[in-house]
Amino acid sequence: MSTEALRPSSYLGEGAGPAAWLLTTDHKRVAWLYLMSLTAFFFLGGAFAVLMRVELATPAGDLVSDDTYNRLFSLHGIIMVWFFLVPSIPATLGNFLLPLMIGARDLAFPRLNLASWYVFILGSAFALASVLAGGVDTGWTFYTPLSTLYANGFVSMAALGVFIVGFSTIMTGINFIVTIHTLRAPGLTWFRLPIFVWTMYATALVMVLATPVLAASLILIVLERVFGIGIFNPALGGDPLLFQHLFWFYSHPAVYIMILPGMGVVSEVLPCFSRRPLFGYKAVALSSMAIAVFGFLVWGHHMFVSGQSAYAGVLFSFLSFCVAIPSAIKVFNWSLTLRKGEITFETPMLYALFFLALFTFGGLAGLFLAALAIDVHVHDTYFVVAHFHYIMVGGMVTAYMAGLHFWWPKLTGRMYSETWGRIAATVTFLGFNLTFFPQFVLGFIGMPRRYHTYPPEFQFWHVLSSAGAVVLAFGYLMPLFYLGWSMFRGPRAPANPWGATGLEWQTASPPPPHNFDTMPSVSRPAYDYAMKGLQHETFSPHKDEA
Amino acid sequence: MSHIRKLIVAYLGLLALLALTVGSSFLDLGGLNSALNLAIAAAKAAIIATLFMHLTSEGILPRLAVAATGLWLAVLFGLTLIGQ
Amino acid sequence: MRSSTESVAFDTKAREKAADTFGMWVFIGSEAMLFGAILLVFLIARISYGTAFAAASQRLSLPLGTLNTAVLLTSSFAMVLAHTFTASRRWRPAVWALICTSLLGIVFLFVKAVEYGREFKEGLAPVLGAPFSFTGPDPTHAEFFFALYFAMTSLHALHLICGVAVIAGMLLLWPGTTEASRTHRVQAIGLYWHFVDIVWVFLFPVLYLINR
Repeated sequence: MSTEALRPSSYLGEGAGPAAWLLTTDHKRVAWLYLMSLTAFFFLGGAFAVLMRVELATPAGDLVSDDTYNRLFSLHGIIMVWFFLVPSIPATLGNFLLPLMIGARDLAFPRLNLASWYVFILGSAFALASVLAGGVDTGWTFYTPLSTLYANGFVSMAALGVFIVGFSTIMTGINFIVTIHTLRAPGLTWFRLPIFVWTMYATALVMVLATPVLAASLILIVLERVFGIGIFNPALGGDPLLFQHLFWFYSHPAVYIMILPGMGVVSEVLPCFSRRPLFGYKAVALSSMAIAVFGFLVWGHHMFVSGQSAYAGVLFSFLSFCVAIPSAIKVFNWSLTLRKGEITFETPMLYALFFLALFTFGGLAGLFLAALAIDVHVHDTYFVVAHFHYIMVGGMVTAYMAGLHFWWPKLTGRMYSETWGRIAATVTFLGFNLTFFPQFVLGFIGMPRRYHTYPPEFQFWHVLSSAGAVVLAFGYLMPLFYLGWSMFRGPRAPANPWGATGLEWQTASPPPPHNFDTMPSVSRPAYDYAMKGLQHETFSPHKDEA
Repeated sequence: MSHIRKLIVAYLGLLALLALTVGSSFLDLGGLNSALNLAIAAAKAAIIATLFMHLTSEGILPRLAVAATGLWLAVLFGLTLIGQ
Repeated sequence: MRSSTESVAFDTKAREKAADTFGMWVFIGSEAMLFGAILLVFLIARISYGTAFAAASQRLSLPLGTLNTAVLLTSSFAMVLAHTFTASRRWRPAVWALICTSLLGIVFLFVKAVEYGREFKEGLAPVLGAPFSFTGPDPTHAEFFFALYFAMTSLHALHLICGVAVIAGMLLLWPGTTEASRTHRVQAIGLYWHFVDIVWVFLFPVLYLINR
């Protein structure tokens, strides 16, 4: 990279070559290692999704066999959940930004951080090996007794991959919790922390306390398949429903592992591009913690038709409605932040506004599913698929793109093409809605999920959805090119291109190896956009000689 | 070395509790057997945590971690058992 | 080179020590959730099939189980001595205490292996397709008990093997390490070791002492 010759003081210039990157303990370089691996997994999981959508363009199963289709959606789910969404923002942007935002030189345990990436790669090797060997057909949920007694795929290998990646998640979680508790800059009290840090804390809490329960249930599956120790085997008196309890005790909070960091990103972007302090800071901060806690109380809503007791169903339904409250608190506060703001529509802001729309829409659909009676009607249909894709893709991936564009100048020291950024954001938004809105309709009129053929009356909506998937794929491919180009050719970015608050903007872009030339201290609240001298700079390729 | 003497007392206490829990299993106390066993196990865990692991003498943070874990275990056990 | 702290992020040793301790406790919390989940599986089965589980539990060896509990408690005592000696910089007794700790860990694993061997011979090990024969009122659910017994004790043993390996590695590297890093490592492995002991403190009555 030509950056290195020009800026020897930046973290990018500190030693080149594979060893300098693969053995680094600098949190900013580890973030890049994660970013590269996660991008690869995102497009692999996306490719599986595109194949599924192409198959579903016609009612007959003419492109792939039923067995192949089962493997496609299982691998799509496993890869997207554990190898992209769970680590996505925490391991990349979180890793890079957390020490910068709290004014620290690094995370508390830099070597543990690097180790977590190697553990991630080891887990990935298992997952990829199971893909190459022929895949898995259990769905991403590994439900017993299908996964233990009947599935023919390489279940143990995939489950071990997920198990190992779980360790990397726990390592990241421990590192974040300890870092936030012990390494805040002088004067940076809890209620002066940026919301992104609050959401990282809440996420880390869920990672540390929920992931081991998933690990336990996966160990028991592997013990049953490999060693013949029948724990969930009904013939011995084992209870397959108990597996679902353990699985969803992890996997519902895991949804919040995936969405909370996105909420953090949006809470940074919206105030910046409306030049207003975040409305209701304390409510937004504490609602992150409320989501982390409430998120653990609602897992039973995945099991309304699995045969749990009716009382449990009613209780879980009630609790699921409750978890909507902190989410709604956030949405209202974000909306009020925009009020009377001087709003500009840069790429990160476009993504953040699209997040707001899609997350609200998906969240409201979630209320339908929390209601017992409606859930019985739409359970295991495309309505559910549409709901969680609105949260996971429309919410989380959109927020991830917002964050990537917002902090790209900090990550690379370069600006990207604003025009292309806006085009990509808009294409993504349109493609996303075209893909997933028809699936709400499909689910409501009775199309079950996980089938590779369907009656012809569903075809109209399936064709719309498949067409949308192609548009969406273009929306995600575009940044690969213009961001890649900007890494080498983009105009130089100043330290604070957006005129944003926050310690990460007070150091150079890209930051020096230990983040700050002089260690910062804090005396003002977060999002102090009334502060004098914060200017939103405009860019042109000519104005970047700094 | 009063510190080491304290540790020795704790160790002997742990062995005494072990003898107590094994001994009590030979008496038929009905449902109380299991409760007694769990109470003794909790007492042993408390001795190990406070005297061997210095849970209470290293600031508030370790206790925070233990309290959070306890709360989450209670949620896991409680909400699963009501569904049974 | 920043000399006094291991991680570049910290200014003072005291702060780093507090962070290390907290990090270990968070990790222990995470591990407690792992064992908690499996104990929950056991608890639900125990509630459903109480009599079968009590009958099956009678077939475990109480003398060997009690011996092993005592061995593990003693190893924890040796570990805390190692920690005390390290804190007062008495390196020679600290090394001996660490050697005792890991040897007692190995003794535990050996006794456990003897128990496993006994159970295989008596046809009580529904593992790897070994024949299972149980004479009692409810052999199906007795088999379930032994499935859980093997799952839980082997997971615990795996943790103990990791602990022994880490202590052995630490002792091998011992001569080349600084005094500060020795204190760090003994503190961290000590917390882990005691936690694994606590897990056994719960597993022992839960598995061996059902209404004897």
